[in-house]
Amino acid sequence: MIDILREHGLFLLVGQFPNGPIGGLVATILIAVLGLLLSFPCAVLLALARVSSYGWLRHPAAAIIAFFRAMPFLMVIFWGYFLLPWLLGRPVGGFATMVAVLVIYESSYLAEVIRSGIEGVGKGQSEAASSLGMGYWQTMLLVILPQALHNSLPAMLGILISIIKETSLGYVISVNEFTFASVQVNSLLLTKPVEVFSIVAITYFILCFMLTQVARTLDRRIQRRRTRETSDDSPPTGQPLVTAV
Amino acid sequence: MIELQDVSKSFGRRPVLSEVSGVVAEGQVVVVCGRSGSGKTTLIRAVNRLETIDAGRIVVAGIDVHARGTDINRMRRNLGFVFQQYSLFPHMSVLNNITLAPERLLGMARAEAVARAERLLERMGLADKAATMPHQLSGGQKQRVAIARALGMNPKVLLLDEPTSALDPEMIGEVLDVIRTLAQDGMTMMCVTHEMGFAQEVADTIWFMDQGRLVEAASPEEFFNDPRHPRARDFVKSIGY
Repeated sequence: MIDILREHGLFLLVGQFPNGPIGGLVATILIAVLGLLLSFPCAVLLALARVSSYGWLRHPAAAIIAFFRAMPFLMVIFWGYFLLPWLLGRPVGGFATMVAVLVIYESSYLAEVIRSGIEGVGKGQSEAASSLGMGYWQTMLLVILPQALHNSLPAMLGILISIIKETSLGYVISVNEFTFASVQVNSLLLTKPVEVFSIVAITYFILCFMLTQVARTLDRRIQRRRTRETSDDSPPTGQPLVTAV
Repeated sequence: MIELQDVSKSFGRRPVLSEVSGVVAEGQVVVVCGRSGSGKTTLIRAVNRLETIDAGRIVVAGIDVHARGTDINRMRRNLGFVFQQYSLFPHMSVLNNITLAPERLLGMARAEAVARAERLLERMGLADKAATMPHQLSGGQKQRVAIARALGMNPKVLLLDEPTSALDPEMIGEVLDVIRTLAQDGMTMMCVTHEMGFAQEVADTIWFMDQGRLVEAASPEEFFNDPRHPRARDFVKSIGY
């Protein structure tokens, strides 16, 4: 294994970079982070629509979310792979396709996380904001969302973790990411699949396990703060705490 | 300043407010009391439209609160509201809790908003708490910050919904002291409370509610010594006056 790493480690890490496009583990992380960042605004809008008091916003948002949550990701990848070039009228690279497909797919999951964050902020908060004369957007942007997003940070990290794992499916459309690179290394070596795929498994594990730990620590800290905040502050019924990792 | 005309509301078939009429004049303090479930909280929440009403009119400073065309957010700037559960914004310092609305809604410059918030905190006896986060405060301190936040918009009227009900007994006094000072300064207030001693001392008028009706509106002397309505008489007797 050490030999493989010594020989092909750099390729597994960055692909052909700097002599070619970036690939390997760095591409995996890049796709995942870009996917999450670009999903974020879509997810916030979807979540706001989902909790809107207007049915014409709420129902379509709920339908979109339900639809994508019921789709296998691999199928969405195929759709994106064939549909995007047709829609744009020009070829779309694997990297861009993968990011786009992640945004389309993960926005729905992220929207649900943000929605439960919004619903976890007590009703008293929006009433307090309204009573000062704030309108909908001011209440949302200044009072509700900052708390909701903060509370859903751990769950968002959870989404990042699943995105990292999902990028490996980019293999089927030849996206130059970590799994793809490792398959290339494997075909080059021919006789060492166990070693190569052990390296892949261990790497994914270390990366995702570290993130899980960060999420857990964050979650605990936020829960502690919330109990402190609400210990003498919550209405008798209590507000549900948000935990969704 | 506040005029209620035949205000009615029901939750399903259960009436919670039945033809409530009354006036809170400028500079007056009206204390609303009554047993739990008598509709007093619903009434005070209806005054700034946190609750809708089914019939009647509520006019504050000449504006019909529940009318269709009313810009409710603009109207609410005239009405400070203090909640039983304080509802401070937990992600902001005490100072920013107070400056948020004046800065964002009135377009007040930061320096001016801060100066004003500091003056308000001083009046609340919390001058040293500006940089503190809400969760580090005691209940009584939180409620005083909540009052300062409501006053930050310079409202014409302050509505207080059981401001001391969530507090430990030893903290009730500090909050009532603050409200008392406001009353002496001529603030128009409507306050729902169970603190009868405080009501007797501070109120210009006491409204007694029973089953959604405003059955007695009287001065504290009248109310505690010689209530006319039998329900009010029972109530006064039951609380030991």
